[in-house]
Amino acid sequence: MNAIEIRNLTKTFGEKRAVDGLSMTVPEGAIYGFIGENGSGKSTTEKLICGLIQPSGGEIKLWGKDFREQTVRAQIGVLIEAPGCFPNYTVWNNMKLQAANLGIGNEDEEIRRVLRLVRMEGAAGNKFKNCSLGMKQRIGIAFALLGNPRLLVLDEPINGLDADGMRIMREILLDLSHRGTTVLISSHILGELEKIATHYGILRGGKMLREMTASELDADCPTYVALKTAHMAQTAEILRRAFGRADLDEQTGEIRTAGATAEQIAGYLYANFGIPVTEIRTAKIGLEEYYIGLMREERR
Amino acid sequence: MKDKFGGFLQRLSTMLKVDARRMFTMPTVYIMLGISLALPVLILVMTSFMGGANPETGEAVETFTNVWQAIGSAGGTMRMDLTSMCNINLLYFLVAIFVCLFVGEDFQSGYVKNLFTVRSKKLDYVLSKTIVLFVAAVGMFLLYFVGAMIGGGIAGLSFDVAAVGASAGGIIACMISKVFFALVFVSIALTLATVGKARLWLSILGSLAAGMLLFTMIPMMTPLDSGAFNVVLCVFGGLLFAAGLGAVSNVILNKTSLV
Repeated sequence: MNAIEIRNLTKTFGEKRAVDGLSMTVPEGAIYGFIGENGSGKSTTEKLICGLIQPSGGEIKLWGKDFREQTVRAQIGVLIEAPGCFPNYTVWNNMKLQAANLGIGNEDEEIRRVLRLVRMEGAAGNKFKNCSLGMKQRIGIAFALLGNPRLLVLDEPINGLDADGMRIMREILLDLSHRGTTVLISSHILGELEKIATHYGILRGGKMLREMTASELDADCPTYVALKTAHMAQTAEILRRAFGRADLDEQTGEIRTAGATAEQIAGYLYANFGIPVTEIRTAKIGLEEYYIGLMREERR
Repeated sequence: MKDKFGGFLQRLSTMLKVDARRMFTMPTVYIMLGISLALPVLILVMTSFMGGANPETGEAVETFTNVWQAIGSAGGTMRMDLTSMCNINLLYFLVAIFVCLFVGEDFQSGYVKNLFTVRSKKLDYVLSKTIVLFVAAVGMFLLYFVGAMIGGGIAGLSFDVAAVGASAGGIIACMISKVFFALVFVSIALTLATVGKARLWLSILGSLAAGMLLFTMIPMMTPLDSGAFNVVLCVFGGLLFAAGLGAVSNVILNKTSLV
């Protein structure tokens, strides 16, 4: 069963079409990485799914039912933008309110469970406004996890987290996914998203540009050979002529090429031009590069 | 989860639990209740020092001579003097401000995201807020009444009911009428707060403006010598406003962006 099914969803703000005929499918138990530039419609779509703004057109179904149905809505946990907490209340009191809102029976135990899950037991007595950005994000996750929701909608949840916080978040999301919880997560930190996502949806201008599984992405991401020599410009030109493509990566200072193995390229350069390769490795492009390449193509 | 959110009463009960909890953990509530108690004491004691004359000009000023003047005046007339302007009717403005603060904080903090993601029925929210805020308004009116008694005692004012043209029953009816008339203010401020959402200034300004328009009506609807008719009128009017404006608030919340 699909946890989320969206067909031709549209949201306009005055003249602007924030979401423009979007269709997407999120299978139950998936970690769906929602990717796109700023203003591409990710947050708007998430707000629409959560019923925080009203769609201008289209259809949203959660577990096959209309998203407005109360029984369906009661199974969503949400962290959109910042956690919705009262700044002058303690973390504990904020969570008590949400536990009451969810109609949770054993409130104290449930609050302790989710705070333990995000390693925030010690912050329960702190006023929310006094928590650091990273703490607030973790508390926001704890909020979303209250009552064991079937669907988690997370908008930029790893923003502001330190390395340890990101690791914890990754572990939590993977664990939840293994237990059948569906996670819709938007993030600009693609390297981190790549470690957990099972499905991807790439948005541009309010439209779904590409929707794929992690294995489809993997198949779409080619391998390449990255190398360094003492004569980079000359080497790049030689490889371009020989293999059709060789790009100089300014960030890493490497030449990237494809069409032959690392050994073949090193041998070709030395045997024909006397250029020794100082560094060479075979790598695969990741989500970030795939996404940047896709966006570059789209802009053209 | 399904059972917890299944029926209307179950949904309302969980929403009421949330709002009641907020009410008792929000410092603003205690500040408002404190003001309601302290305000009549201050007004009655301070004006008693004036001795019936403006301290700067020496002109005669009609000040409080009877404690019941702090609750209202018989006959339902409104004069532009100290006793008419500085009585319990000031509380209506305080109630309106409190409603705006209470609702506005939900939007300002982003708490509405947690609330409305799991609640599709906005009516639960409107109804629960109306009930809880009305209860708070009742508390404020009762504390003002207590404060007036304390202030009157300290200032040495007369407690003679007949002297102000009222009766004990009339005063009780007057208080009941005033309390239910507060429901009108609660409903107006609640609707304006759902319009203003996180823009607290907008809802407060709107509520105060609406309060100014209604201010002259209050003495007529709730005179010190109120009878059953006043009580019925205020109860009916209060409930009518709560139902009508509650429906409007519900539509606003359903049709507009909540974040």
